[in-house]
Amino acid sequence: MKFLSRKLFVTLLGAFFLSASHLALAKDSKEPIVIPTHNWSSQIVMAYVIGGIFESMGNRVDYKSADSQAVYESVRTGDITLSHEVWQSAFGKSFYNAMEKGGLIDVGNHEALTLEDLGVPKHVIDANLCPGLPDWEALKQQKCVDAFKTADSGNKGRILEGPQTWHGDLIPNRIKALGLADKYVVKFAGSADALWAELASAKKDGRGILMFNWTPNFTDADGFSFIKFPPYYDGCRIADGGDEACGSPDGWLKKAAYYKMPRKWPAAYTTFSKLSFNTTQIGQMAALVDIDKMSHKDAAKKWLADNKKVWQPWTKK
Amino acid sequence: MSNENQPVIKCEAVYKIFGDEAKKIIDAQSSDVVNIEELNQAGCIVGVNNASFEVHKGEMLVVMGLSGSGKSTLLRCISRLTDVTCGKVLIDGEDLLAMNEKELIELRRSKMGMVFQSFALLPHKTVLENIAFPLQVKGVNIQDSIKRAQEMIELVSLQGREHSFPRQLSGGQQQRVGIARSLAVEPDIWFLDEPFSALDPLIRKEMQDEFLRIQAVLKKTILFVTHDFDEALRLADRIAIMKEGVIEQLDTPANIVLNPATPYVRKFTQEVPREKVLRVESVMEEVGKLKASELSTLRVSKDAIIETIAEAVLSESKPVPVIDDTDKMIGILNCSTIIHMLFGDKSAENTLSKTS
Amino acid sequence: MQIKTITENTKLVQVIGLFIVFFALYVLIEPSADNILWRIPEISFGEGSFSFWAVPAIINDSIDYMMFEWMPVQIYDSEIEDYDTSTLLKEVTRGFSGFIEFLINLIRELILGGVKTIVAFTSWDFISDNEWANWPALPWTVVLAGAFIIGYALGGKGLAFFAGISTAYTAIFGQWEPAMETLSFVLIAAPLSFIFGLVLGILAYKNRTIEILLNPLLNVAQTMPHFSYLVPIVVLFGIGDQAGAIATIIFATPPMVRLTLLGLKKISPEIVEAGMMSGCTNRQLLFKVLIPSARRDILIGVNQVIMQCLAMAVIASFIGAKGLGFNLLVALNQLRIGQALELGISIVLIAVVLDKLSLAWANKQVDYFADLTFWQKHRYGLMFLVSLVVGSFFAYIGTLIFNDINYLYLIPHSKGITTAPVWQAGIDWVVENWYHSLQTFNHFMIKDILIPMKEAYLGMPVVATFTLMMGIGYIIGGIRSALVVGGFLLFISLTEWWDRALITAYMTTFGVIISTIIGATVGILCAQNAKASRFILIVCDTFQTFPSFIYLIPVIMLFGVTDTSVLLAVIVYATIPATRYTVEGLRNVPVALQEAGSMSGVNRWQRLTKIEIPLAFPHIMLGVNQTVMFSLVMVIFGAFIGTDDLGQLILKALSDEKGIGNGLILGFCVAFIGLAVDHLISKWSHDRKQALGIN
Repeated sequence: MKFLSRKLFVTLLGAFFLSASHLALAKDSKEPIVIPTHNWSSQIVMAYVIGGIFESMGNRVDYKSADSQAVYESVRTGDITLSHEVWQSAFGKSFYNAMEKGGLIDVGNHEALTLEDLGVPKHVIDANLCPGLPDWEALKQQKCVDAFKTADSGNKGRILEGPQTWHGDLIPNRIKALGLADKYVVKFAGSADALWAELASAKKDGRGILMFNWTPNFTDADGFSFIKFPPYYDGCRIADGGDEACGSPDGWLKKAAYYKMPRKWPAAYTTFSKLSFNTTQIGQMAALVDIDKMSHKDAAKKWLADNKKVWQPWTKK
Repeated sequence: MSNENQPVIKCEAVYKIFGDEAKKIIDAQSSDVVNIEELNQAGCIVGVNNASFEVHKGEMLVVMGLSGSGKSTLLRCISRLTDVTCGKVLIDGEDLLAMNEKELIELRRSKMGMVFQSFALLPHKTVLENIAFPLQVKGVNIQDSIKRAQEMIELVSLQGREHSFPRQLSGGQQQRVGIARSLAVEPDIWFLDEPFSALDPLIRKEMQDEFLRIQAVLKKTILFVTHDFDEALRLADRIAIMKEGVIEQLDTPANIVLNPATPYVRKFTQEVPREKVLRVESVMEEVGKLKASELSTLRVSKDAIIETIAEAVLSESKPVPVIDDTDKMIGILNCSTIIHMLFGDKSAENTLSKTS
Repeated sequence: MQIKTITENTKLVQVIGLFIVFFALYVLIEPSADNILWRIPEISFGEGSFSFWAVPAIINDSIDYMMFEWMPVQIYDSEIEDYDTSTLLKEVTRGFSGFIEFLINLIRELILGGVKTIVAFTSWDFISDNEWANWPALPWTVVLAGAFIIGYALGGKGLAFFAGISTAYTAIFGQWEPAMETLSFVLIAAPLSFIFGLVLGILAYKNRTIEILLNPLLNVAQTMPHFSYLVPIVVLFGIGDQAGAIATIIFATPPMVRLTLLGLKKISPEIVEAGMMSGCTNRQLLFKVLIPSARRDILIGVNQVIMQCLAMAVIASFIGAKGLGFNLLVALNQLRIGQALELGISIVLIAVVLDKLSLAWANKQVDYFADLTFWQKHRYGLMFLVSLVVGSFFAYIGTLIFNDINYLYLIPHSKGITTAPVWQAGIDWVVENWYHSLQTFNHFMIKDILIPMKEAYLGMPVVATFTLMMGIGYIIGGIRSALVVGGFLLFISLTEWWDRALITAYMTTFGVIISTIIGATVGILCAQNAKASRFILIVCDTFQTFPSFIYLIPVIMLFGVTDTSVLLAVIVYATIPATRYTVEGLRNVPVALQEAGSMSGVNRWQRLTKIEIPLAFPHIMLGVNQTVMFSLVMVIFGAFIGTDDLGQLILKALSDEKGIGNGLILGFCVAFIGLAVDHLISKWSHDRKQALGIN
């Protein structure tokens, strides 16, 4: 309870006491480390996994649900201690905004590389709805345009993009640069939920869908092929002076923390900075929930029990 | 502070003017008498215009007037539910307007009770709780206040309805609760603001009787407001007739009926049956030389309303002696006088006006 | 009679004239970026030093300054044994958050156990050093018994069983922890909203100035989309249950204020005088006379507060509130609609149980004459003690029987029974079988109705819009209404989001038209019969608390990320008030008038069309007003499906650099659309009711 334990001092008074207490801390604070939970499985399971690791070291942990965009503002002000899944293209902007304002520190990357790009689910390839995929040139065929048509797309094919919050007009610009603009329209979905609902519906119906997605994600288990656009190169982005006629690069998956974490929970912080998951591990976590239908907490417990060799080294000094 | 002869309520030149500027305008006026014209021009509305009167202990003053005449406003000035614009109101010799919040509340808790036209019962409380309310507000503990409320319920004959809610009662029953509530703290002064106006005629009559019965027992000092002239005549010791904020006439019922002071008052009195208003005293004749044997054995009180004794007097062949409070004979009543009154012609009326 | 016909005809002439002018402007004005009659460009004052478009950034900077720079104070952090710079405002708001959080945790830990309450009085170190200092959770059976006893004490057997069964439902369906988390959150947010609402209502009653000042604030708070003030709340109050509770309080207080004020204003002056003559002090007058006399409206206010609090359960979880709402979002993200549905039912059940309990409590009477024995006086407390002992005993037995999860103590989340597979199968079946037949409809809707309508709205020159709206304002309420409506529009037109607002307006209009048609039809049919009326009103109540997020997903599965989906969701939600007000309006037509109609020999149909509907019409229009508000809310919500209107930007503002300012200004734009319509309809309805002589 901050309001009971924190004491207010005026600057002047404080100066008297300052000199006496400047000692380096060896032990972690008993105050709970606050880990955020968002609304997708891998993130929640990973929150409980990290929480479990901290608990095994004798720390207290608390979980707070938070919006995945607004969370950086909370990390910055210390309401939340860390953020363990910062996706480059979806949250990079919010992350850097918060870092610029101060209070948030970059704790390095996970081993996993992320890919966020357009793609099609397995059934589209299997049923050969658009022959030649995943090569992007295939999209030029009229057959493909027809396969991706929807009620509101006119005579064009529709590309279902994530919320505009995630990466602005990146996809529309790319479509234009690749000369696909007269064949395809980009529709922004409002939320990840909307993407999954459309995906599930298309799968049940066996119809074509061309949509934004990422990996590692729970969709990996069912099979999802990303379109092979012209490879990314430095300077391809409009912001960097390019024309955007390239696919997405592999993105990083970062960890972020409140700037006081290293001082307040030095041991936990050391562990957190060493901690790094790869794509397979993240996929495992998501699959326990999404495929095996376990609860998030149980999934985290199981993962921790099965992967002691992976995480225990991180807790050693 | 108080002595026997001191009036319980005394109003001196009370004005109530509605309007934001009223007070300012009056303060600016130099003369002692408020210039109403000027106020009217400023858009102020006059509620009470220069009211002065006294009410004595045990007396019932009925304020009569049509709607908008300022009668309810006058009542609220005296209970200080509204603040008087200028003038003086004394309750038992104490200046009501000088009292602070605390003194005023104390005064209301100990000396005043009020009955309202729309009953104004608290909708969320039962009959019992409503009656006990003024006591509980005062700080009387629950047991004692409920016990007292129970007594009041008996006084107004509402036994068996203690736990009903106001909405479950008839109008007459609700007003009984209102009366019981206003009397629960045993007030000295009893304000009644058109208490029976919202009731059916039959119930109204019944409630008036009930009211008279209660008053006969309790003998409160009463200020009673009504728009019903008959009711005023029936109940009042004295009546104040108001029009447009001004008290047109303040007198006993008999005098008002017999000598209306203004044409406005006359309009009310014209249709009033005399026998319902006049008391024996105002029509009796002198004893003269009549011997005891020439008189009836019946005795009538000088305070009796004629209507109530007419039948008895008419069945007597001899003149009936009129007695006062001490049983002393002070006059006689002839059958012919009564007959004239009941079935009278012009001449009877003339006779009557002379005698009074 | 003649005069009346003429005035009515003048209105008609005015309306026709207005439309002619409107269409003339529509056709004549050239759509071009430079044409100020077409769109108002960015306006700068003083050589570009200030522009209206910069307002969001200014708001942002001011809040940032207030929060993080103004009046710095040094805070000693004993954990890291160092000083830290904070600001006064931050400390004050965080102090308030801490207080709310403490209250929520207190109730939560009484039921679910925990250490935070103890920490509030000691420290984390103390808790770590003392293993015993850990408040144990109550077995769910004891809470069930508690709910049963409270229900019985307040409202008798019926309520007891209802409360008991609802509690059992949450436990058995494996939603115990989230349900109790939501409960603890509501048990703080609802009473606080009640108290704030009551206090503000009383102040407004006593002081006309406060009433005048409060009114626009309440209007805005009620019409502003919740998302637009989530970020400011996070900045001011942090993240977590307390922030969710504060957002909920902002949302739930206005109806309470309004109803308190309404109730107080309705009290007859004689009752107030009766209180004064009984010798009440000001305080006694307030608590013993005024508030109890206004209780009917105040109780409706309590009902609204509870409903609003639970309606916010999902949105509050965006900023950290734990409980059913958060689990619901997670379930939806995994497309587990059956599970989401069960969570939604829990939310509705909590709402209904709390509503019924509070109502029963308010109606409770004291028996003054009962001579109670010790047992009678303390029977409920004793009963609870007994159930505590029995429940704990069973929980102990449970530890012997079950080795993994003690089902007699705490049933963990998603470890109960579930009906989810059934729902899931149902939805799958619908998607598999209906998808294709629905596509024809979807194509028709989008190509032939929605796209043309949207283009028609976007093709409106700004001058034409102003003329139309202010003209309608003038016809309905004279020059004053024209200026009010014009003022609202002006604000929107000065921002850079006018086109977005037009799209919001197009979707809202469409939603309102369809919802009103459906709602009025259903309402009229149900109003013919008392039982049907009661039934449909209960359905309305349920749908109002039922989290609307749940039906977004099935709708997307059937209609894709399209405007059709958004509008279907809008219609499901906005039909509620249209139906409710139609039923209420028709049921409240004075009996005398109905009888008069019957005596003049009208048949059933004539009575409906000639007497009942005209008389109920003003009330039905208030329903339409509510339909507009509900539609706006859902159109903004539609951003979660995917829209390109104001809602999309509000959602985007959650992560924007200029998030606070943008969110607030966008929120105002939405609020002002609502308020303009609200002004017109209420004014019309008020005048019409007066003309008809009904209240």
